[in-house]
Amino acid sequence: MTRLVRRLFSSVVLLWAVFTLTFLLTRFAPGNPFAQGRHLPPDVMANLLKVYHLDRPLWVQYALTLRQTLAGDWGTSYKATGIPVSEIIRQTLPVSLTLGILAFGASLVLGMVTGLLIGIGPRRIAPAFRYATTLLVGLPSFLLAAVLIDLLGLRLGIFPVALWEGWQSTVLPVLALSIAPAGYLARVFAASMEETKESPFYRTAVAKGITPLRRILFHLVLPSLNAVLALVGPLAAAFLTGSFVVETVFAIPGMGRVFVLSVMNRDYPLIMGTTLVYTLFLTVAIIIGDLLQESADPRVRSL
Amino acid sequence: MCPETSDGAKGPHLLTAAPESRAKRGTRPFLSALSDSRFSGRAAGPVLSFLILFFLFSLALLPMSLTGIDPITQHAKLVLAPPLTPGHVLGCDFLGRDLWSRLVTGSLISLTVGVSVGILSTTIGCLWGIVSGFLGHPWDPVMMRTLEIWYALPEILIATILMLVLGHGLMAVIIALSIGGWMGVARVLRSETLRLRDAVFMDAARALGVSPVRLVIRHFLPNVLPVILVMFLFRIPGGILGESTLSFLGLGLAPPAASWGVLVNEGWKALPVSAFMLLWPAGFIVLSLVSFQVLADRLAKHLGVSR
Repeated sequence: MTRLVRRLFSSVVLLWAVFTLTFLLTRFAPGNPFAQGRHLPPDVMANLLKVYHLDRPLWVQYALTLRQTLAGDWGTSYKATGIPVSEIIRQTLPVSLTLGILAFGASLVLGMVTGLLIGIGPRRIAPAFRYATTLLVGLPSFLLAAVLIDLLGLRLGIFPVALWEGWQSTVLPVLALSIAPAGYLARVFAASMEETKESPFYRTAVAKGITPLRRILFHLVLPSLNAVLALVGPLAAAFLTGSFVVETVFAIPGMGRVFVLSVMNRDYPLIMGTTLVYTLFLTVAIIIGDLLQESADPRVRSL
Repeated sequence: MCPETSDGAKGPHLLTAAPESRAKRGTRPFLSALSDSRFSGRAAGPVLSFLILFFLFSLALLPMSLTGIDPITQHAKLVLAPPLTPGHVLGCDFLGRDLWSRLVTGSLISLTVGVSVGILSTTIGCLWGIVSGFLGHPWDPVMMRTLEIWYALPEILIATILMLVLGHGLMAVIIALSIGGWMGVARVLRSETLRLRDAVFMDAARALGVSPVRLVIRHFLPNVLPVILVMFLFRIPGGILGESTLSFLGLGLAPPAASWGVLVNEGWKALPVSAFMLLWPAGFIVLSLVSFQVLADRLAKHLGVSR
């Protein structure tokens, strides 16, 4: 329990640190967010700065932004004039979440199956899968996306190559997002099973001569799952980074694309909003991962 | 042979240690990992990776590998020329620029970023981890909390936000990716430090009155060097991948700088008309990433470093 409280406390600290850092970085960034590719009359510029409080001293801006953020008012976008940041996030977050959850499920299934094949598969096939996972881990998601689009989208024409309409359009992005993490997961799972095979209880199970199914399921797979649970946090981070790329490539109206565009446009309130949501999401994922791991294996608590 | 190798510290194990586990302790030269006869069946991957990296690095570093064609000169008549066009082995891009020479200059940039990110992030991580481990109680928890908090954020997210301030130059990318990705190194190094700090040979050195500086440099560092080397080798592909991802998104290096990431970005846009613009840089990225990965894995196994 105290662990959970400590975790929650450090998440709050993380959120505050990310808020402060993002605030400072955006304010010290060179260039003016309103003068990109156009020249504004001085009075218009002054007005713009005033509306967004950018003419006030830094610490006043900081206090103001912090208070507004805490109160749930995340300001309005600089670029999409007049649209509140919270509205943009409300519209795009569900898309990214759907994509993320689907990709999580896909990578879990793909990764576990591949891991099992490496760990207990026939001797002729196992090495091939091991090499495949090495290759997959080194395969950037944008390349995978390009290959998928070219092969399944353009050449075979099975799936639509872009946008977010209907279930068919989710297939390629989910694949592009989940294959590399699945490779990583498979490697970790296989390595963990390799370790379990060395353990005394597994050798005992072999010596006892229990049925292979029971042996594999209860004495090999189940104890090896802890290593997979430890990946929940890192996987969340991987999907997050992957979503920047995949949503850009497939023109999916999700939050990853909004984040990338907001950085390009120097849209400070939008950068702040998306970054905070991401941080919140990551800390939640890490806490969930920790809780799962602890409930599965109480020994990690003492670490 | 120093008396303070881990073999000496774990005396009784010497009797039971199988040849494999002695190989894991690893005091042999690093390069012998490639030609070790005991692993000859499995050495094909690492040897191939080494050759690929040797090729890529010599491509980047040798001036004669440049074809003599300027990578930014546009040949209007050769727009999207296919591979094996006379004078342009790999063809030309949508502005009629020679792809081979762009790829070669790209190799220099991408490998520079990769190695620099490797060096910088490993250095930051080592300093943080070792200092935290040695300082002990009042500071160690504080430094570890800070680390844990940062560790939650993905490298690309941190780097992207840092790029707002740093701009889009080569140094900016290197610094942003290094600050984004040193935490893993620090974590490993800290646990290594805690393991070795109170080892018998360290106590022996302290008892002999060795100065703290000498203690760290002569007695501590040689024992963590394998770990540092492996972490460094794992960070290089991280840097290359980070750079190419940032550049692909249009957040990293900006054209006309032609890193592999920028080339992939251009190739991606040209995909409907020509696959080659994407194929070459993509191939180079995958080759380098996988090679570094395989080599690092092999070295980690050879030196007995578990990640």
